[in-house]
Amino acid sequence: MSAIDLLAAEIVEPARDIKLNLQSVLGAGGSLTAEQRWGVAIACAVAARNVRLQVALIADARNEVGPAVVEDAVAAAAIMGMNNVYYRFRHHIEKPSYADRPARLRMNRLVKPAASKVDFELYALAASAVIGCDWCMRSHERVVVEGGLTEEQVHDAIRIAATINGAAIALEVA
Amino acid sequence: MLTIGDRFPAFKLKAAVSLEKGKEFEVVSNEDQPGKWKVVFFWPKDFTFICPTEIAAFGKRNRDFEERDARVLGVSTDNEYVHLAWRKNHPDLKDLPFPMLSDLKHDLVTALGIKHPGEGVAMRATYIVDPDNVIRFVSVTDLDVGRNVDEVVRVLDALQTDELCPCNWHKGEPTLNAA
Repeated sequence: MSAIDLLAAEIVEPARDIKLNLQSVLGAGGSLTAEQRWGVAIACAVAARNVRLQVALIADARNEVGPAVVEDAVAAAAIMGMNNVYYRFRHHIEKPSYADRPARLRMNRLVKPAASKVDFELYALAASAVIGCDWCMRSHERVVVEGGLTEEQVHDAIRIAATINGAAIALEVA
Repeated sequence: MLTIGDRFPAFKLKAAVSLEKGKEFEVVSNEDQPGKWKVVFFWPKDFTFICPTEIAAFGKRNRDFEERDARVLGVSTDNEYVHLAWRKNHPDLKDLPFPMLSDLKHDLVTALGIKHPGEGVAMRATYIVDPDNVIRFVSVTDLDVGRNVDEVVRVLDALQTDELCPCNWHKGEPTLNAA
């Protein structure tokens, strides 16, 4: 049994839908490559701050994808944890006086992905969906679609994001 | 004197890198470690008073520079054996984590334009050089004024900090190219 199956078995009965979704969104057969699927799932588990999900997903991912994908997923989630807060503030307040100030925050890893650039953007988009920043989602969605991914792929990534966030909550049920 | 936007001159210099027997010296060149930033700082003379304090200060912050993908290089016009002797002699310099380069022929200080006209030694200059070998920061003080390493780290941070996230996209602007 995979690490994620073992963990999913702990999800309580009232949250069974989440458990079943977890199995289906993480399985092969959708529009995403293995790299995209595991990268998105790990980035979302990090963004949802669920350590057990993160550990289980990384353990299973290692059977299918290289370490660069895991690193990119973690980097994307951490940087979006920062940027979602910063840019959400700018977008919500809408004062040019803030928008004109330089952020003066390092985010160099965004342009130096260890694996695919467009996949990295997809992880960033999925993490932004979990953390919840409208403009960040909008802008990263544009970038991945312009980078050649299909709306079907974006949609599948968001289904993973939603399920991972649900699982993160379901696993915290006492 | 070379300044912002100029290319840092090519160099290939002997350096004191360690106290370990047989591993004391290496040749350090501008072509080592491509893709990295360089922080190159000069001092006038080994075995003087201000120098070990600020050289040790660069040593203490070496990890901060490494984390910023920058390689620290210290240079004077003394020869590599003098560098080694100074390292052995001064407790603050024993564990120095970066190489001490010897610009014995004065090629580098001359090319940079930082050779002190009266003393014939290096001025107390600090350069930050980007991965494309372009000088992005320079500061030079008179011979006996010490340097603030925190300021060098701050400048390096500022030079490396750019809003690279598509989140910074404003309506009507083109997006970053994801390909």
